[in-house]
Amino acid sequence: MLTVNTPPAWRTPRMPPVPRLLQRLFDSVPLVTYEANELPARAQVSSDAELPTLYVFASEEDARLGAPSFNPSCLKWQTFLKISNLKFTLRPSTNHASPTGSLPFLLPPPPSSPSAKRNPIPASKLYDYALTTNNNSTKSVHPVPSLRQEAYQSLIDLPLRNAFLYTLYLSPEHTALLDRLYIQPASSSDLVQLALRHQLIRAAEAEILKSTHATSGGAAFAGGVVDSDAIYREARDALEALASLLAQSETGWFFNEKEPGLFDASVFGYTYLIGEFFDHHDEGDRSLGRMVRQTGNRGLVRHRDKLFGMLWPDLLVGRRK
Amino acid sequence: MVLEVHVWGPAFGLASIDAECLATVAYLKQTTTPTSNLPQAANKYDYRLIQSSPSAVPTNRLPALHDPSNNTWISGYSSIISHLKSTALPSPTEKYHEHSARKQADSTAYIAFLSAHAAPLVALSLYVSSANWAATTRPAYSAILPFPLPWVEPPAIRAAMSERAAHLGLSSLDTDAEAEKIEAAETASAAAGWVQVPASIKQKTRQKTIKESMTPEQKSRIVLEGVTTDVLDVLAAVDWDEQTVELRCLAFAYLALMLVPPVPRSFLSEVIGRKEFWGLCEFVDVVRSSMGQPSLLYWETPSTRARLISEGKKTESPSSNTAVALTARFAHGLVHDIPLIGQEWRRWWAQRRVRQQQQSKAHIALATVGGVVFVAANVGLFYLYKGLLPFGAPVQSWRAPVTLGLSGFGAAGALFSFPEL
Repeated sequence: MLTVNTPPAWRTPRMPPVPRLLQRLFDSVPLVTYEANELPARAQVSSDAELPTLYVFASEEDARLGAPSFNPSCLKWQTFLKISNLKFTLRPSTNHASPTGSLPFLLPPPPSSPSAKRNPIPASKLYDYALTTNNNSTKSVHPVPSLRQEAYQSLIDLPLRNAFLYTLYLSPEHTALLDRLYIQPASSSDLVQLALRHQLIRAAEAEILKSTHATSGGAAFAGGVVDSDAIYREARDALEALASLLAQSETGWFFNEKEPGLFDASVFGYTYLIGEFFDHHDEGDRSLGRMVRQTGNRGLVRHRDKLFGMLWPDLLVGRRK
Repeated sequence: MVLEVHVWGPAFGLASIDAECLATVAYLKQTTTPTSNLPQAANKYDYRLIQSSPSAVPTNRLPALHDPSNNTWISGYSSIISHLKSTALPSPTEKYHEHSARKQADSTAYIAFLSAHAAPLVALSLYVSSANWAATTRPAYSAILPFPLPWVEPPAIRAAMSERAAHLGLSSLDTDAEAEKIEAAETASAAAGWVQVPASIKQKTRQKTIKESMTPEQKSRIVLEGVTTDVLDVLAAVDWDEQTVELRCLAFAYLALMLVPPVPRSFLSEVIGRKEFWGLCEFVDVVRSSMGQPSLLYWETPSTRARLISEGKKTESPSSNTAVALTARFAHGLVHDIPLIGQEWRRWWAQRRVRQQQQSKAHIALATVGGVVFVAANVGLFYLYKGLLPFGAPVQSWRAPVTLGLSGFGAAGALFSFPEL
């Protein structure tokens, strides 16, 4: 009799008894305390504060993986910093975030003394930055670009850039790509996207006209008519000249350098993106991808693959699978 | 048939005022030999130069090559060169043809370098700098453009060239634009209610400081020399005798336009005149003397043109300098200056023109109709405006009401007047 009436140890007399119904409910749905969530992956980047941060055009995932940016100029500097063995983290950004109005720019790590300023470094000064911050772990000092190199650099800055701009912004086959890369990340509103697309296309057109109609104010009369045949012909000539320059070198890098340098990075900035984006359409004479593949006995393709394999070995493995 | 080469006209003792046109002329002069067995004097050469402006050719761009046999238009220096090479027309001298791959690659690279870096320098010197523009370039354009066009085309060219050199950050050479900026800032501060120093006091009280008495070219001298030597260093390292003809011609064109024009602020020719760039000066002199006098080139004159037309070897084209065509071009220039609409009009027109390259007849009819409609609309608007009733009388006068007695003193008078009972 006595044992039957004794209440269980947890049922203190002061607590009212839990109703049977609730007890059954709680028994079938046990309360579990989960462990705290991990921080989102991108939060690691901002906590990694002792590294400089390069702000480029890229998607969130690509930036986390350190994958190549989809903008030729950003990719050029990303490649160059990787060549210089400089450790940095990548953050996706837009032109509006940049102090100079264009990407990429680099935010150096916070200085040890709190009074010192932490100034962002624009693309034009990245070369000097990479040279001065070279410590012992990095490779040899890059030489000053030669005069001949400057002439060849304008092949990249003028005909190749114009053809790239034309293909991405003005040729109708790549509107979907343009939307995916530059327009959809900026806004989800159709109206804003429409205005942005219009603005970007006009800006690209003005940029091409400004440099192709180099003399006597030809751009004033052009009225937005871009001579696309001339643009693709000049791009083919430029790629052939670059391939021939590469063939003159014995080391496989431009200008007989033992290690890849800034010039290799700027060529790679275009050849890689052309291979990624413009090699799938069959556009006959106007396919930049085909031009890169066909010029100079595939020299540019070999250069591109070699540099990619050297700098992004993990991505290369992933791609081969 | 002979090829028609449309270029900007001669200036400063050079064959053309524009670098690419000058290079084209030099290329033709150096590669073409006269074909002697043709009877007609006008057909003695394979090409004929026609003085023109971009608004006269269907591609809207000079230099332009017109092949009358199949009515094709090709414009731009590199396009013309590749066309001439591919058609092997006109008879080129052989020694320039075989080049190693290395030389060909160098040629492509330096041509790109010249258009990327030398063109902005020429733009700075001849177009952006206000003093040089007013004293040298604008008069040169006035001399080569037919009558009403100097009013509309050179300012448009100057604006485009300033855009071309904008990345160098030397827009301060354009004192007109600077003065406008200062004026705008002053009116803005006046509108905001800031106290202004009257202009009469500002001018007289003190002498000009050194900085104020310097020309903008002197102020930015160090930057100018920097950008100039950056470009010239690259060019001076080239052995010009060994290069391809097309590269030599383009380099000559840009260097000649830096060196030759008699500009009052001659910062470019001063830098080229230095000892380390003597090789470049020499190169320019050699090519220039090989070209001879610009007037001795094969220009198309009105008489040869008239004869060709009468012989049926040539048809009247929109590039003719007839009164109707000139009016149409002038009207276009005017429409382009209208804010907002002008740009869109130019775009629509240029695209239409490129589409209609083949139908030059329809084109000239359209140009005529467009020009006439535009002029008629303007005349109509003018008379409509004159015919409107004037908005109010031309002279407005206000008179104070004449009142007698104490009420004439207003409130004070009302104090003394008696209240009406």
